[in-house]
Amino acid sequence: MVDRRDVLKIMVSGVLGLAIGGVGGYISRQSEVESLKKEVEALSKEIKLEKVELEPNLYIYNWTYYINRNIVDWWARENGVSIVYDTFESLDEVVAKLQTGTSGYDLAVVSDSPLQELANLGVLEPIDLKKIPNFKYVPERFKNPYYDPGNKYSVIYSYGTTGLGWNSQEVSPEVTAWADVFEVDRHLEKYKGKITMHTDTIETFGAALIYLGRDPTSTKDEDLREAVELLKKQKPYLAGYASTEEYMAGLEAGRFLISHAYNGDIAGIIYASDEREITITKNLEYISYTVPEEGALAWADNFVIPKGAKNIEAAHAFINFILDPVISAICTITVKYPFPTGKDYVPEELRNDPVIFTPDELLDKLYWTRPFTPEERAKRAEYWLELMAA
Amino acid sequence: MAIWFYAPFFIVGLYSFDMININRQIVFTPSLVHYSRVLSWTGAMGIFLRSLYFAGVTVLLCLLIGYPVAYYISFKIKKYKDLFIILFIIPFWVSFLLRTYAMMSILDERSFLNTLLTSLGLIDSPIKIMYTDAAVILVMVYDYLVMMVLPLYANLEKLDKTLLEAASTLGAGPVRTFLKVTLPLSMPGILAGFLLVFIPTVGEFVIPELVGGPNNYMVGNLIYEFFMGARHWWIGSALSMLFIAFILSLVIAYVRKIGERGLAF
Amino acid sequence: MKGTTPFLKIFTILVFLFLYSPIIVMVVFSFNESKSIGVFTNFSFRWYEKVINNPEVWKALFNSFWVGAVVTIVSLVLGLMMAMAVTRYSFSGKSILESLILIPVIIPEIAEALSLLIMYIFLNIPLGPVTVIIGHIAFDVSFVTIVMRARMAGYDKSIEEAARTLGANEFQTFFRITLPTLYPAILAAGLLAFTLSFDDLIKTLFTTGPGFKTLPLIVWSSAARGGVSPELNSLSSFALSISFLFAVFRLRAERRLER
Repeated sequence: MVDRRDVLKIMVSGVLGLAIGGVGGYISRQSEVESLKKEVEALSKEIKLEKVELEPNLYIYNWTYYINRNIVDWWARENGVSIVYDTFESLDEVVAKLQTGTSGYDLAVVSDSPLQELANLGVLEPIDLKKIPNFKYVPERFKNPYYDPGNKYSVIYSYGTTGLGWNSQEVSPEVTAWADVFEVDRHLEKYKGKITMHTDTIETFGAALIYLGRDPTSTKDEDLREAVELLKKQKPYLAGYASTEEYMAGLEAGRFLISHAYNGDIAGIIYASDEREITITKNLEYISYTVPEEGALAWADNFVIPKGAKNIEAAHAFINFILDPVISAICTITVKYPFPTGKDYVPEELRNDPVIFTPDELLDKLYWTRPFTPEERAKRAEYWLELMAA
Repeated sequence: MAIWFYAPFFIVGLYSFDMININRQIVFTPSLVHYSRVLSWTGAMGIFLRSLYFAGVTVLLCLLIGYPVAYYISFKIKKYKDLFIILFIIPFWVSFLLRTYAMMSILDERSFLNTLLTSLGLIDSPIKIMYTDAAVILVMVYDYLVMMVLPLYANLEKLDKTLLEAASTLGAGPVRTFLKVTLPLSMPGILAGFLLVFIPTVGEFVIPELVGGPNNYMVGNLIYEFFMGARHWWIGSALSMLFIAFILSLVIAYVRKIGERGLAF
Repeated sequence: MKGTTPFLKIFTILVFLFLYSPIIVMVVFSFNESKSIGVFTNFSFRWYEKVINNPEVWKALFNSFWVGAVVTIVSLVLGLMMAMAVTRYSFSGKSILESLILIPVIIPEIAEALSLLIMYIFLNIPLGPVTVIIGHIAFDVSFVTIVMRARMAGYDKSIEEAARTLGANEFQTFFRITLPTLYPAILAAGLLAFTLSFDDLIKTLFTTGPGFKTLPLIVWSSAARGGVSPELNSLSSFALSISFLFAVFRLRAERRLER
């Protein structure tokens, strides 16, 4: 067992990009997390870091509640960089801003499918992996991804699946498959008005197409026709099409019993998540998350540097900082989404929780999305509006 | 100079006629493909009709609520008439978003209103109105009621009250006087109120987004989906142009009927 | 209609209750000590402290003010020019211009906002305070023009003519005579423009750039994210008091106008 002091030193040295030995997870109890947090704050004031000179302003654009903000503030303070940290609540927002090519951001987090669209539009700056020594900690499966061969424009941020979050106190039998929310005689009728599907069209069409045994990224008319008919039949039984904020609040309050959701959001309900407080105690243990047996969409969020970024150096330094295993671990403990480089350093109960870290063998079996052309997106939106009008 | 302000609509117009390509270059081959595509959607028509329905119900409720109030202030209040009308307007000078939020704080399941009613034993369980169509309409009525009352009040104030007296001297009962004299004479106020409530509500985006449920999808959401979700600016532009044309034709019809003076709000 | 009067009275009182109670409940619960939005436990400034200690709120408030001020000044200058053009001179295409002025007033805000965004993207203009201000001005000018035009319709031109006969040039006439006479109308239109800009959500939401937030954006993102909360109650009440202050200003300006 390594002394906690060492963890802190490792954490601080992580900022400098120094090597870290292979050590297991040591942050285990809440009290330890608390004292650790205090020591981090104290140490961050005492220790002078050997700094690289960086330009003073860094503009970052990320999902809401998706990082430990204290860590961000700490890095900014230590490096004399002032960070403007903006957040978005849907992919539409970030893609619309980034595709202008003049968004003004130096660093953003984007999912796999729109990432390819943005790269094709030529609105991303290439990433120089030489400036990100901590890239070596990225597990092989997240290097050289299908959506960005050779990591030309992106570096992994977090990943997960979109499945079903549900209330195990109220729902029985347990939710195991998409069939539970698509077949009237399973859960649909029984929990009428308490089930939500996702607002993102890619997710909801994806779920319907997987249930139908089709390619979830299909834009063929016959597939979409069948999917939309299925969703139209399902719609009268739903409480609605909910976004992260809505289903998290709904599941927590018991208004919703089954929600089509991202795994990390459900983990965030089970353990409680925040962007500043570190907690690992369970909050609502009766909330469960299931990757349906028919399969599900997997996704990966990535750091990208938008075109026109003015502080590319600092953006690289920040990516390197977050990839540091200890920093990644702290981010995972905070937001309950998995940061892959920090897996070995998070407390055991989180590390072994399949809701947070999707098991590798499962990840291999899941579906991934792909980029769509404007025409393909419009076609899907046409079917979506048919569903909305129904 | 004024033309400069129409540049956004000009560009949206170019997109809608397929005159800007994917590389943002202007091409001189106008086409109606996007219009014909949009017009062929039955789903879009359904959403459009739903928006009309929501806006229509809102206008009707505003009229039913607003008319008695305007009538009362105009006819029955002698002293402090200005004060009453000011008291009525003040909530509407507060930001639209804050009014919407204030209404959310009442409609919420955990709200004071629900707690009060439950503890008084008036209801068994909290009223579940948030995230339903009813919530959308209620909030729209709350937010736009003033747009109905003000033109009505202005109209009733200008109304020649001797006419009403004449009617009752000639033996018409109060109901008859109202139906045969007051109501027809206040038609211009009703029409102005209709327009002022209908136009913002039919294109409403924020309210359904904040308090609506699964069936709240309206024209505003549709336009948003094609611009931002599908990022197909050509179709989004065609939808916008059609919607703007619809609203403009309403206003033109109104001006034809009332004359341009009716627009000096 | 003697018999209906009590009914009308009660109805009107109920409508006033309907108008004020949500606002009152929101303000009252902003002082609630507990986190509940349904049960009032104790009076406390707890949530206000949280709001006041949030630098983001102050920054947004500051942004809202300076954007509003710039928008108001530019809209007034342009609006005054347009209103004078349409009320005083006749030129070809005048009626077209007059109806064009109306368009921004009646177009749904979501269509306006997305049109602006598309234009900025098309012209490669980086998003930020400037694009927000341009968006506000483009639409507020119409409102200013309409208000001014209505007020100018009853404007007595003979004073200006008298001034000119007495040897004042165009410039002097404008600053000495026209402007002071129109002062109440300018004040009313200016306050309207400021309020419109200060309260604007949708156009700002779609045209803002990195790090630039206004007060409505902060209220919107927390309302859309978490629904009703005590902290948001106090933030809204705080914003409400600012709106209210402007309402009082506007009221006084309108009063002056009537005299």
